[in-house]
Amino acid sequence: MKLLLVEDDRETAAYLKRALTEAGHAVDQAHDGRDGLLLAVGETYDVVVLDRMLPQLDGLAILRTLRAASVKTPVLLLTALDGIDDRVEGLEAGGDDYLVKPFAFAELLARVNALARRPPPQDVQTTLRVADLEMNLLRRTVVRAGQKIDLQPREFQLLEYLMRHAGRVVTRTMLLEAVWDFHFDPKTNIVETHISRLRGKIDRGHPGSLIHTLRGAGYSLREPD
Amino acid sequence: MLRSASLRLAALYTAAFAAAVIVLGAVTLVTTRTTLSQQFDARIQSESAALVREFRTEGLTGVVQAVQERDSTPGALDYGLQGPDGRPIAGRLAQARASPGWSEQRISQFGHEKIRTYAASLAGGYRLLVGGDDESIEAVDNLLAERFSLAILGVVVIGLVGGYGLSRGMGRRIAAITGAAEAIIDGDLSRRVPAAPRGDDLGRLAATFNRMLDRIGALMESLRQVSSDIAHDMRTPLTRLRSRLEASLQGPPGPVQAAAIEAALGDLDAILETFAALLRIAQIESGARRAAFQTFDLCAVARTVVDAFAPSAEEAGQRLTLEDGEPVVVDGDRELLTQMLVNLVENGLRHAGGQAQVTVRCRVQQGRAVLSVTDDGPGVPDAERERLFDRFHRLEASRSTAGSGLGLALVAAVAKLHGAEASLRNADPGLEAAVAFPRRS
Repeated sequence: MKLLLVEDDRETAAYLKRALTEAGHAVDQAHDGRDGLLLAVGETYDVVVLDRMLPQLDGLAILRTLRAASVKTPVLLLTALDGIDDRVEGLEAGGDDYLVKPFAFAELLARVNALARRPPPQDVQTTLRVADLEMNLLRRTVVRAGQKIDLQPREFQLLEYLMRHAGRVVTRTMLLEAVWDFHFDPKTNIVETHISRLRGKIDRGHPGSLIHTLRGAGYSLREPD
Repeated sequence: MLRSASLRLAALYTAAFAAAVIVLGAVTLVTTRTTLSQQFDARIQSESAALVREFRTEGLTGVVQAVQERDSTPGALDYGLQGPDGRPIAGRLAQARASPGWSEQRISQFGHEKIRTYAASLAGGYRLLVGGDDESIEAVDNLLAERFSLAILGVVVIGLVGGYGLSRGMGRRIAAITGAAEAIIDGDLSRRVPAAPRGDDLGRLAATFNRMLDRIGALMESLRQVSSDIAHDMRTPLTRLRSRLEASLQGPPGPVQAAAIEAALGDLDAILETFAALLRIAQIESGARRAAFQTFDLCAVARTVVDAFAPSAEEAGQRLTLEDGEPVVVDGDRELLTQMLVNLVENGLRHAGGQAQVTVRCRVQQGRAVLSVTDDGPGVPDAERERLFDRFHRLEASRSTAGSGLGLALVAAVAKLHGAEASLRNADPGLEAAVAFPRRS
């Protein structure tokens, strides 16, 4: 995938570029707002990773300009400001996701991957399918290998999010935000517990498990290896 | 003196009032003079007409008699009768010029006073003069001018004295505010403007000023608190982190070193988390979030939280349940209230021990929305209970367990932001933490 990284701190930028390149992405860099805007408008990228506070032109101004120019590239905002208002402001300016500094690289990678392959909004899917697991979004039913599975509403939401991001890494934080609307990190490992319950319902009694735990990164729903 | 705004204003108003009195005086003077002159002329004319009638009925002798009679009456007008050849016949005005109609002339007999006369022609060439000096009009003029001058003087004196007094009074009260502001600039943050006994605009200004100072003081205090908390409570974990990293440098590369670095990362995450929590509390305490309040069902939040935490509690052998009834509507920040409840629930689960039963209740009590979390653990000694809401305060027994000591401080900050009352009480056994929201208006 082709990424644009706009980050003024050279050390962070160099580290992120190396790590993203190792993860198989082509990365262009800009160190200030003006260059970042020029690149974002001139080239085509799959995802733009945009620092919020930049010299010359700040991240939100770039974002607004891009959206005003109908550039629809998904944008992940990096920000040291973790106030709720700052987040809302970023998303309202046209950001697709945000990540508060400091962050773990695994979290950034998971979010970039999730953004890049987000289906276009006009696609209305009524059925999600991964291997022999099938979810009907209208009737709210889940079937694996012809066997109906009963899920609590919250479990259904969790599974839906995993299936929509099938094959990709989904972090704890992403799940907390998407499923429970928790924008903070509880100390209790509630995600782990819910995943293990879901795993009990989805994978038990089936030869291959679909829900995989990636240590230090998060979870992934994919076909059995 | 003129640097006092109120005195300058008083002087300006005095000048304006003096000008108004002058205009009033002038108008009065002119009007009075016109009216009096008209009355005087009318009197002359009516006298003249009476004498002309007398001449017609009684003849010359009748008129001469009438003129002589009138001339000897004090306070009457002056009269004169001239023959056809201009020869004086009778009356004090007999020597005056007698061209027909109105005229004003000075006559030596009258000490060269200006006399206003009216001459009428009688049959046979006789001339009749009626006139008088209008000294009474002048006297009234002079009287009016004199009185108005006194009035102007009075206005100026009263205006200046009043203005001076007013400006002294205002000046003293403004000086009190200026003095307080200057004392604060010089570092005495506890200074306040003395309260005014009267609730007038300056009094309200002083009260508002004091409230602003209280607010600034509270914000500064919270800032000072945060920085000293950071300095105090971050030093320990940072030192631990430093020694961990130092130790890992000394060993050979390998799994032991990797484990040490991983542990250091864990320490670092905990430090960052504490840091974020401190900043969040400071942000909440600044009150800036109040603008984003919305109306929502508190019980729905409680349901989400209990639903999220119940499985984890169950796995630890504990029970987390919700008791709720009707929807309980509050005005507030949904995200912060969610986090507040999560902190209370985690606190209950952490300190109540295994087999504990933690109950979340969401209901209306005496018209107020109340959210409470009750556990059946060992509880907290009475003396310690209130201090639990302080930053970094941790029970000695829990020093060794995980947690930043900021969970309940955040609860207190969120409750305060919502004007709600956070309290802890013994539930016998266990602890009940309750947040009572204000009545909705």
